[in-house]
Amino acid sequence: MNTTIEEIDGKYYATLNGEMDTAAALEAEEVLKPLYQSNGKDVIIDCTDLEYIASSGLRILLSILKGAKASGSKVVMKGVNDDIKNVFKLTGFISIFEFE
Amino acid sequence: MRNYMKTHTGLTVIIAAAILLQGISAMQYYYTRSLLADELEKRAESELSVKAVIVKNSLNMSENSLIDHIWNLKRNIIHPDSSYQVMEWVLRSHPNLTGCWVAFVPDYFPERGRLFEPFAWWENGTIKKAEIAAEGRDYTQNRYYKTVYANDAPMWTEAYREVLTDMNLVTYIVPIHDSKDNIIAMFGLDMSVDQMGDTLNYRHIYPSSYNFLLTETGQLLAGPKHKSDKEKAKMEHVINMINDSTVEKSLSNSGRSSVFPMKDADGDEGMVFYADLKGEPKWKIAVVCYDKEVYAKLTKMRRTMGLMTLLALLVLGLIIARFAKNDRKLQKAKVEQERIGSELRIATNIQKEMLPKTFPPYPERNDIDIYGMLIPAREVGGDIYDFFLRDEKLFFCIGDVSGKGVPSAMVMAMIHSLFRMASAHESNPARIMQTINETSCEGNESNMFVTLFIGVLDLPTGHLRYCDAGHDAPFILSEKGKVNSEKYATAIDVQPNLPVGVFDDFTYSMQETQIAPESTIILYTDGLTEAKRAPKQMFGLQRTEEVLSKCALQHLMPRQVLEAISEEVRTFVGDAEQSDDLTMLAIRYTPQRFETTLAETLVLKNDVHEVTRFSNFMKSVTEKLGIEKSLAHQLRLAVEEAVVNVIDYAYPIGTEGDITVKMMSNSHTLRFQIIDSGVAFDPTMKEKADTTLSAEDRQIGGLGILLVRELMDSINYERMDGKNVLTLIKHIKQTGYEHNN
Repeated sequence: MNTTIEEIDGKYYATLNGEMDTAAALEAEEVLKPLYQSNGKDVIIDCTDLEYIASSGLRILLSILKGAKASGSKVVMKGVNDDIKNVFKLTGFISIFEFE
Repeated sequence: MRNYMKTHTGLTVIIAAAILLQGISAMQYYYTRSLLADELEKRAESELSVKAVIVKNSLNMSENSLIDHIWNLKRNIIHPDSSYQVMEWVLRSHPNLTGCWVAFVPDYFPERGRLFEPFAWWENGTIKKAEIAAEGRDYTQNRYYKTVYANDAPMWTEAYREVLTDMNLVTYIVPIHDSKDNIIAMFGLDMSVDQMGDTLNYRHIYPSSYNFLLTETGQLLAGPKHKSDKEKAKMEHVINMINDSTVEKSLSNSGRSSVFPMKDADGDEGMVFYADLKGEPKWKIAVVCYDKEVYAKLTKMRRTMGLMTLLALLVLGLIIARFAKNDRKLQKAKVEQERIGSELRIATNIQKEMLPKTFPPYPERNDIDIYGMLIPAREVGGDIYDFFLRDEKLFFCIGDVSGKGVPSAMVMAMIHSLFRMASAHESNPARIMQTINETSCEGNESNMFVTLFIGVLDLPTGHLRYCDAGHDAPFILSEKGKVNSEKYATAIDVQPNLPVGVFDDFTYSMQETQIAPESTIILYTDGLTEAKRAPKQMFGLQRTEEVLSKCALQHLMPRQVLEAISEEVRTFVGDAEQSDDLTMLAIRYTPQRFETTLAETLVLKNDVHEVTRFSNFMKSVTEKLGIEKSLAHQLRLAVEEAVVNVIDYAYPIGTEGDITVKMMSNSHTLRFQIIDSGVAFDPTMKEKADTTLSAEDRQIGGLGILLVRELMDSINYERMDGKNVLTLIKHIKQTGYEHNN
């Protein structure tokens, strides 16, 4: 699992690579934590190479979303594959996240 | 429309009654009137004859006064003036007499001229005397003189008015003879008939009726003293009618009296009766009677009758109205009753709907077969049974609410809801019972209680947990006789807990037992054991046990068992009325062997980093089974969530423990078991996250169990031998590749 974040033109870009199981989520959270306070900046999360996500990963995404909503910015999910989209569907996350 | 008809009928009755009463009244009126008319005729006729006698007597007295003095006159006739003395005697003999005279035949006393007529009369209380022929009156030319002379017989003259005294007079004339029987004079007396009028009207048959006397020629002779000209005119009118012979009509009972109806100037109707006097003079006597007096009582009676008729009709109307009102009330009550009846039918249906009614309830399963039966004694009953499956556990209950009818049914409905609510996230029957008891004790003003048995059967293991709140102990049927070496039907051991609804702080105890494969649990209410055919003759526990043993031996299925029992009860009870609801529930447990084709086991430490090992394990297993990527993804996620849950919660922080993950598969099922020896923890009782909330409201927790439930076909938790066993099952279609080859 490889997780990166960068800020370009006042927007955060996060890239999630590989399989985010519960163990991987622990490490990924350390990287993604700054996004919990996005301070009004939009967050674009690139999931093109994300192959798996467990509920601990979803909790991190929800925390980012809550932070963004609180500061009036938005979170956009990019390149989510069908299996993962199915997980979003089952959890109801499909209706609270924006997809691109 | 109905009411209109009713009012219509009521009106018809009143009208008919009115006609009938009027008819009776009219008949009575005319009958009484004719009786009164007859009575009037009799009274009038008797009045006429009485008054005729009075007139006749008066005339006779006058005649006799004159006749009595004839000899005196003859004795003194030698001297012309001697007759004055006789005349005075005559006048003094009777008060009605006004004058007396003697008219001698011409030249009887030549010295007094050709005509001589001495006259004596009453004037202002004294008797005056004078010779009146001297005044040039030739009495021999008088028609009465001539008549008496010619007939040589006494006679009464017609009435005439004496101008001087203004009195109505009549004169009686008697011829006087000498010794040679030659007529020498006429002896006459004048009688006033005015007093006779008073005498005739001294007393009347009716207050306003009056009598009067007419002469031969129809002149009024004597009558009442009328005060007004109008009254006089009225009488004149009557007299004219009498004289007009065409109106008269003879009275039937006597030929002498006549009668005719009359109507006077005022429009008052009446009857006139008149009759001829006997002998001389040929006078007529009449009596006039007014209808208003004759029929006064009748009129009064008629008025009273009319009032009574009205009153009777009014009363009748009131009675009819009252009847109609009662009828409406009755109609209303009937409608109300129908409404209650239909509501009861609806309640019966609602109650039926509440209970499981589709049998077999789980046709896709081959490990349980269930049949339930509730025969209410009334439209709605207080018995309850229910069951449902959750996480490979069968939750079931049977209960009996104290009392019967609607109140019991309402409590039954409440208990049903409470059972479903309390067991939604709780698998311990004692705690479910506890919750139901606490809730139903709140505001239990009517002090109703419920005997209730709650069982939770773990289907993978056959482990039965149960709690009995004062209910009859269920039976277990074992065709193999395994429950007890001698019996095929055995009541399970129950601890005597209090019924639900008695004390809210009562602690219910849970019991456990193992249900052997091919066994049937029979639950029932006391409607079975206490089914009566006569007082004190009940179906009883022993008979129940015998019947059930028979059923067990015959390998009967749940439906057959219950039908057999109810048939036995029906035969036993016969024609006796069902006194209580009869409710039974039969659950047959037939677990299937799992023919494992692949089994893999992984043992993990309670550390999140172990998840990486788990991930590899899952990849390897799904690869071996040839499961396609998406399903593999789903299985991995579901089992990971379950495993992480155990890692997080099974062991106290800082302690180490093992977690075993077992995978077993056969051709169509994947079974994962996660086993730990940590604290008892049932993840199936955890609430799922609410997926409908907004981002702001979403909670961080609850996602794991949600994913497990969504991704797997069933989840089952069991605490066995000090271990938590969580079983996840996924039914898989045989993959196309495997199937085709």
